[in-house]
Amino acid sequence: MFEILLNVMAVLGLWLGVEYCLKRETTQSLEDASLIPFADDPEVARRVELATGKTVKAVAPEEAKPGWGNLEI
Amino acid sequence: MSTATLTQAYNYKVVRQFVVATIVWGVVGMAMGVWIASQLVWPEMNLDLPWTTFGRLRPLHTSLVIFGFAGSAQFAASYYAVQRTCQVRLYSDTLAAFTFWGWQSVIVVMLITLPLGYTTTKEYAEIEFSGAVWMTVVWVAYAIVFFTTVVQRKTKHIYVGNWFFGAFIVVIAMLHVVNHLSIPVGWFKSYPVYSGATDAMVQWWYGHNAVGFFLTTGFLGMMYYFVPKQVGRPVYSYRLSIVHFWALITLYIWAGPHHLHYTALPDWAQSLGMAMSLILLAPSWGGMINGMMTLSGAWHKLRTDPILRFLVLSLAFYGMSTFEGPMMAIKTVNALSHYTDWTIGHVHAGALGWVAMITFGAIYHMVPKVFGREQMFSTPLINAHFWLATIGTVLYIASMWVNGITQGLMWRAVNDDGTLTYSFVEALQASHPGYVVRFVGGLFFLSGMLLMAYNVWRTVRVSDVALAERDAQIA
Repeated sequence: MFEILLNVMAVLGLWLGVEYCLKRETTQSLEDASLIPFADDPEVARRVELATGKTVKAVAPEEAKPGWGNLEI
Repeated sequence: MSTATLTQAYNYKVVRQFVVATIVWGVVGMAMGVWIASQLVWPEMNLDLPWTTFGRLRPLHTSLVIFGFAGSAQFAASYYAVQRTCQVRLYSDTLAAFTFWGWQSVIVVMLITLPLGYTTTKEYAEIEFSGAVWMTVVWVAYAIVFFTTVVQRKTKHIYVGNWFFGAFIVVIAMLHVVNHLSIPVGWFKSYPVYSGATDAMVQWWYGHNAVGFFLTTGFLGMMYYFVPKQVGRPVYSYRLSIVHFWALITLYIWAGPHHLHYTALPDWAQSLGMAMSLILLAPSWGGMINGMMTLSGAWHKLRTDPILRFLVLSLAFYGMSTFEGPMMAIKTVNALSHYTDWTIGHVHAGALGWVAMITFGAIYHMVPKVFGREQMFSTPLINAHFWLATIGTVLYIASMWVNGITQGLMWRAVNDDGTLTYSFVEALQASHPGYVVRFVGGLFFLSGMLLMAYNVWRTVRVSDVALAERDAQIA
């Protein structure tokens, strides 16, 4: 019985932990996150928009700045 | 750093290098696997030389395919995906180049020392002390490059694929260091700080999580980037992907003791390993279903896109082997399967079906982009590779299932008077046809790998670096 209680608590702990991590996320923010793989590729993003009806905020990436390790110092 | 590279948005050079290394180590490592498979069919194939015996080449095969092939593939995929999903160039071209040459030198150390007999004797951790220390240095450099790139990202959110890559990097560092803790008595000889059942427990905590994190978590990161990208649809459920991540990394780390059922390990630890392995089925299938369902509304693409076929088949094998694994972890099932070829079949369902197939899909996706080509040299060759790999995998795992169950049943058979019905040699003789089929399956798989190498070479030979650089510029 005690083992079952421990198991249930472990599952509950995991569920609460994930829910806590997601509490600031909205449906829109999760949808935006799922579209990140297309967000640096305007051409592919257009095809995804056509296929899914979702809006992909696609922009070409910025150029890297000079300096060791490309750090903006 | 040259001005030319600075003008590019992404560092594709290191990705190109790791892609080529993946192909090279894939061919060498799989050829080594076919060779040792032939030794089990024709023992004279060990050539009567100490360096080419099964006992020395088998760890070389596993090291080359795990660290050389799968490792290089994950470096390539993680460097490619992290740049594109963070919309920023990799942190430090110099350090990224160091990770490439450093990692290749680790593989060369394995290639030289393992046939010479220098080994810790710990499975998947055979590389001896100085090699293991050097491996740690390279891995720390990898972590710096990856995580600093994530920190410098231009996107608000860290894409879920990068979470998986990040967990893979952190956990592998921890496992490698803890399992390799030893007292060196020479450059290539050391003694572990653990002993007895503790040593076994630490080894299989490492060993199982080498599968769980080196051959699963990193490849799930690959799946979460390349499947949506190849399908042209976002991942089915982003919320499920987050649940998948936390559940997987929470559970996997506990499953190792199932490798030590019916040993000197305390019984409670064995039962814990079994229970955690069974629970692990849930997140594994959650991830598999999430990947599969990403194809919703786009299944028709499978008819024309062999790259997508590789990715989807890899998910099917992932689902199959993550069902089989928990079943084999049940102690009563394990009583039959342990020490038999069933285990070898299970490992290869994951290694060939999941790891290699998703790597093939990701490499075919990346090669044209990082080498400045519209597409691969030959799509029919990709298709031929797909069928060779599929047939090879099925032959391999089916023959090992038959062998494993045969062996398990023959070993446990007893006569009325309590004596064994079969001797070990009789079980070995009964396994011989299975070894022949496994060898043929391996040949199929290797042939597909050679086709891939040819296809990549023909694509790369006429590569347009200027186009690749423009692609990296505007992506």
